[in-house]
Amino acid sequence: MCASVKYNIRGPALIPRMKTKHRFYYVTLFSIVLLGLIATGVFQFWPHSIESSSDGGVEKRSIREVPVVRLPAASPIPERGDLSCRMHTCFDVYRCGFNPKNKIKVYIYPLNKYVDDAGVPVSSTISREYNQLLTAIADSDYYTDDISRACLFVPSIDVLNQNPLRIKETAQALAQLSRWDRGTNHLLFNMLPGGPPDYNTALDVPRDRALLAGGGFSTWTYRQGYDVSIPVFSPLSTEVVLPEKAPGSPRRYFLLSSQMAIHPEYREDLEALQAKHKESVLVLDKCTNLSEGVLSVRKRCHQHQVFDYPQVLQEATFCVVLRGARLGQAVLSDVLQAGCVPVVIADSYILPFSEVLDWKRASVVVPEEKMSDMYSILQNIPQRQIEEMQRQARWFWEAYFQSIKAIALATLQIINDRIYPYAAISYEEWNDPPSVKWTSVSNPLFLPLIPPQSQGFTAIVLTYDRVESLFRVITEVSKVPSLSKLLVVWNNQNKNPPEESLWPKIRVPLKVVRTAENKLSNRFFPYDEIETEAVLAIDDDIIMLTSDELQFGYEVHMSKVHVYMQVHVSKVHAYMQVHVSKAHVYMQVHVSKAHVYIHAGRLHLWDHEMNKWKYESEWTNEVSMVLTGAAFYHKYFNYLYTYKMPGDIKNWVDAHMNCEDIAMNFLVANVTGKAVIKVTPRKKFKCPECTAIDGLSLDQTHMVERSECINKFASVFGTMPLKVVEHRADPVLYKDDFPEKLKSFPNIGSL
Amino acid sequence: MPLWRRKSFWLALSVFWLLLIFLGLFPLRLAVPPRPLPGRSQGWPRWLDAAFLRSFFQPEALPEDGPQLRQAPRGSSCTWGACFDTSKCKGNLLKIFVHSSAGPTAEAHRRILDSLEGSRYYALSPAEACLHLFLPSQDHRGACGPLPPYWNGGRNHLVLSLYPAPCTRLGQAMVAEASPSSDIFRPGFDVALPYLPEAHPLRGGVPGQLRQHSPQPGATLLAVAEEKGGWRTHASACPWDRHCEQDPGPQQTHPGETLPNATFCLIPGHRSAASCFLQALQAGCIPVLLSPRWELPFSEVIDWTKAAIIADERLPLQVLTALREMLPSRILSLRQQTQFLWTAYFSSVEKVVHTTLEIIQDRIWGASGRPSLMWNSPPGALLALPTFSTSLKDFPFYHLQQGSSPESSFSALIWVGVSGEPLLKLIQVVAGSRHCAQILILWSSEEPPPDRWPETTVPLAVIEGHRKASDRFFPYDNISTNAILSLDVHSTLSTSEVDFAFAVWQSFPERMVGFLTRNHFWNEAQGVWGYSTELANEFSMAFTTAAFYHRYYHTLFTHSLTKALRTLVDDTPACVDVLMNFLVATVTRLPPIKVPYGRQRQDAAPLVAEGPGPRPEPQPLAQDCINHVATRFGHMPLVSSRVRMDPVLFKDPVSVQRKKYRSLEKP
Repeated sequence: MCASVKYNIRGPALIPRMKTKHRFYYVTLFSIVLLGLIATGVFQFWPHSIESSSDGGVEKRSIREVPVVRLPAASPIPERGDLSCRMHTCFDVYRCGFNPKNKIKVYIYPLNKYVDDAGVPVSSTISREYNQLLTAIADSDYYTDDISRACLFVPSIDVLNQNPLRIKETAQALAQLSRWDRGTNHLLFNMLPGGPPDYNTALDVPRDRALLAGGGFSTWTYRQGYDVSIPVFSPLSTEVVLPEKAPGSPRRYFLLSSQMAIHPEYREDLEALQAKHKESVLVLDKCTNLSEGVLSVRKRCHQHQVFDYPQVLQEATFCVVLRGARLGQAVLSDVLQAGCVPVVIADSYILPFSEVLDWKRASVVVPEEKMSDMYSILQNIPQRQIEEMQRQARWFWEAYFQSIKAIALATLQIINDRIYPYAAISYEEWNDPPSVKWTSVSNPLFLPLIPPQSQGFTAIVLTYDRVESLFRVITEVSKVPSLSKLLVVWNNQNKNPPEESLWPKIRVPLKVVRTAENKLSNRFFPYDEIETEAVLAIDDDIIMLTSDELQFGYEVHMSKVHVYMQVHVSKVHAYMQVHVSKAHVYMQVHVSKAHVYIHAGRLHLWDHEMNKWKYESEWTNEVSMVLTGAAFYHKYFNYLYTYKMPGDIKNWVDAHMNCEDIAMNFLVANVTGKAVIKVTPRKKFKCPECTAIDGLSLDQTHMVERSECINKFASVFGTMPLKVVEHRADPVLYKDDFPEKLKSFPNIGSL
Repeated sequence: MPLWRRKSFWLALSVFWLLLIFLGLFPLRLAVPPRPLPGRSQGWPRWLDAAFLRSFFQPEALPEDGPQLRQAPRGSSCTWGACFDTSKCKGNLLKIFVHSSAGPTAEAHRRILDSLEGSRYYALSPAEACLHLFLPSQDHRGACGPLPPYWNGGRNHLVLSLYPAPCTRLGQAMVAEASPSSDIFRPGFDVALPYLPEAHPLRGGVPGQLRQHSPQPGATLLAVAEEKGGWRTHASACPWDRHCEQDPGPQQTHPGETLPNATFCLIPGHRSAASCFLQALQAGCIPVLLSPRWELPFSEVIDWTKAAIIADERLPLQVLTALREMLPSRILSLRQQTQFLWTAYFSSVEKVVHTTLEIIQDRIWGASGRPSLMWNSPPGALLALPTFSTSLKDFPFYHLQQGSSPESSFSALIWVGVSGEPLLKLIQVVAGSRHCAQILILWSSEEPPPDRWPETTVPLAVIEGHRKASDRFFPYDNISTNAILSLDVHSTLSTSEVDFAFAVWQSFPERMVGFLTRNHFWNEAQGVWGYSTELANEFSMAFTTAAFYHRYYHTLFTHSLTKALRTLVDDTPACVDVLMNFLVATVTRLPPIKVPYGRQRQDAAPLVAEGPGPRPEPQPLAQDCINHVATRFGHMPLVSSRVRMDPVLFKDPVSVQRKKYRSLEKP
């Protein structure tokens, strides 16, 4: 009381005694300071808005203003392309140095306008597509503006189309680039190579060692593993929107040819096909009698019938992509966009991105010689394959053809993969359409190995403080012939494990690992001490399993019924009721709508109404999950659980101290695409600490929680990976009328 | 207000204003490091007039005059389309004729010939062949020996040499030689072979040496192929001596033949090191090829990035870092792929030669050839015949990769040697299953089939057989489902058993699911294989008289087995079971699956005695079978198992009402 009074009296003394006026000054001062700070902060933390408003003039220039570079007539010309170039001979990887992200750095030379001695421009400065291409590179992760750190150089000299180029002067322009060095690590993009009359299949501009990303390579000009074959971009890709047509939907024509410039002899062949097969073949040509103002590129004619192009391509199952003057044809892109299967007739043509794309899945290649047999070749392709090809064709277009950006990035990715092959993108990533990528599973343990039995397994016991029960488990497990090591994970930080002398003496090495934190996921940590492939996870209260059961479980695991998870028995919780139907035996998941349950129960009803996944542990005829209270699995899953568990599941499990086994089941099923296997009939555990006290209610909350887990995990995985099966593994002569003594595993418990 | 206070006030005010102005003019770049935002380039400007740029592609200027018929250059720059005449292959089937050079046949030639004889490619006369095989003689280096007749400039010829060929360029002939130099290799035309050791087995071959999927913790990281053969292992990763002077590391040099025991095997790029490549592959040591100057074997079809690492020798430190930091999941899959490839394509001379021919066959097939997945995932292209179906979903092996699941119905194929009462009963039982789609009766009896068949809910068809044992596994067009339940007229099953077995098969579509099984064993005393038919703790074969398996195995049985084996089966019908089990085990490398069979005790004996053939076979003859077939296969593919798949509540002491397959438990 006194103190508080004193405080009240002395209180005001703590506040500076000031007049209202002074106080006003102070408030003003502080608010000014505050405002100043805020203003500074805004200026500091908003630099881009400032820049874009102030530096905008620098960034946004007109192309007419680019610097002019005069090329003396005598300036050096690079040598012609070196056909023997390979990555290890002509490419300087030292420039790519070490990059922890395994990504090459690409530099783009600034844009210049090149003129010859007479001041005549060498070429038009830049085309729309090349500008898009360079923009795409500059916006990508590959880009660097530091020329000294770059590994790949892209000149801004536009050589996409060779036609308007002055060959010699363009070459001179290349040679004067600051880091040209015989073209080493320089990348040129060209889509229309060659010129009349003989149309070379690669860019004619002398380019020495520069890499060429070219459209229309033939086997004779393409330097395998050095050049990149790219598509000829079709401007229609951006102009016309062709909605995807479902593969297999009816198309009017079986075979269609839409190209305008076809050699007369080939046109004769095609017309012969049309004459023979009438309605199912359509050969289109240029329209001769179009009214003014109609874009001739967008129309095709057959006799007097006029068709919209490229829409008409969607009406055909197969579309001919015939060699013209050049091997690479832009029509390929249109055909793919229409989901029409390209029939490529261009001998020796290197298909776009053939280094990584599997064209067999999306196209039919017919030799020019066999053009007249084309129809029968195509007819032999079954409908299902055609549908897959149509889907694949459309996917190739979407991923690699549809924009200049897609083409540029795919090209850089290919070069990147060559330089960092150990970080390369796989065949599946390049080729599988998203629908396949989503549904396909690649089992990480796909190879059935027959490892020596002698290797045995490592048993991992997770324990907290039930020492007595733990010792009994250790003693029991040590009787299993194939056990090679026992690992006790001591999860109690407050208590030291018993002294070494107190542990049971067993014939195999026993190791105790102390953990830093009491977490459930410690059970699934990939300890260095695990030397075997097979791991038995066993709880410290599972004491009733016979040595025969465990040994059999190990053999099931080894005998490749499944390489991965073999589950042994399931665990009963400590609060288990004696009531049979409450035994937590194995678990099961259903789509609640799809199942009608024979037995009534609160959980089921609740579930029916909520329409959720539900966790059930009744005795049913199906299994989809196993408890990891006693389960064999491959040690690789420990690594997956610890480092590759999707989403926040791992933390969630540690926080809730529950469902680690469900998480493991989800992980294994998701990664392998297969069901777990339950071994032997055992479903119940005798556990010494079991009591019937408040079993029911605890049990109920437990079930609710576990159902929640399943719903949570299913949403994180985005799917329900668990598979339901109706079988379990028993020894061959289990319960057969056969002398017990002669059976390999006579001692198999029944429940 | 005291002066000092006012002063300090103004001072503070002006300082802050100054600071503010100063910072406004020269913003500190500390707050946000300048970094390009996506969508805004720093180095490449956004042109104001970008919209007015012309397209590179002017459709009006399409070359109209250009198109010319081009004759492909011949000779050294041959391509498949230009230098191989596929029209000579009737029905698009590759048939080969071997021209062996005159004089004594070299050992290498004899082995190639042995591996071809009796295979499905073998043509007896040059007229029916569309590919002529020329084996250049090994003796005189440089000279190719006399060219065979029908040479025709080398057109439709394959020069096959298991060693680097003495003469590499022979007109328009394709060259298949060991580790060709990548400078002269013609992709899509030549075939690159592996460099086989001298004593490579002809058939079968040693399986891969990998014993563990994942490397042991603390296993040796690197082994380096040495000039003189053999391997040098490094505990620490520093194979390039100049780069790791500070840490010489414990080294051990292995003598020539031992396989390296390490996670990665560094193989230098020069051609002479190519022989180390196969060693590493067999040992499951992931090959790390440093700028190889030779073409990797079968590179046309094998995706080597899944099994090996091809790196640039000029970036040693980067490669080492990448190896050290490689994720366990990647190591796991690389290691397994080495083993798969070794077993599928390299472990014997026969496999190498057949793979070469299959590559050419695939080229002939073109679009209907094997997709990449078939070559690069188990069981491999030699065991996956694209003639079966062009859709991968039809095969038993690719369900996981394709994200599909096996069909939910089966066809029952009942083989009838003698007609009688049991047949009608069997039809009723099978038709009672709700998964049964059709019943096919393979009529192999002397007497004509009855005119009337019992009324069934599913379609029933009769196929007239040729009374040969191999008939049973012919790929009949009538079979409409992928699952086949193969039955003998004497099989006694219950509908419940059929249903359960089918449910199990759906989980294991690539394996055989059988009711009755037997086991094989190695008879030490006599040095032969034997088998037991009585009840045993183990089994390795399933009787095909009551088993589920995939329709694909009919195709494989009929088209991939050599003529000699099929003749053997027709002569001794009891062998048909053994042969089928060998075939499936070669493909899966796993044991079949046994399901419970109620009437085992009563019926096992007669079923076995009856056998698949028309007359009971005495045991010794059957024993002969297994030895015969094992010799033909070159190895023993059968794997034993002690596991049986039972229904989940099988014989559990719970109410029968709960159980789905209760009739399985009737005594």
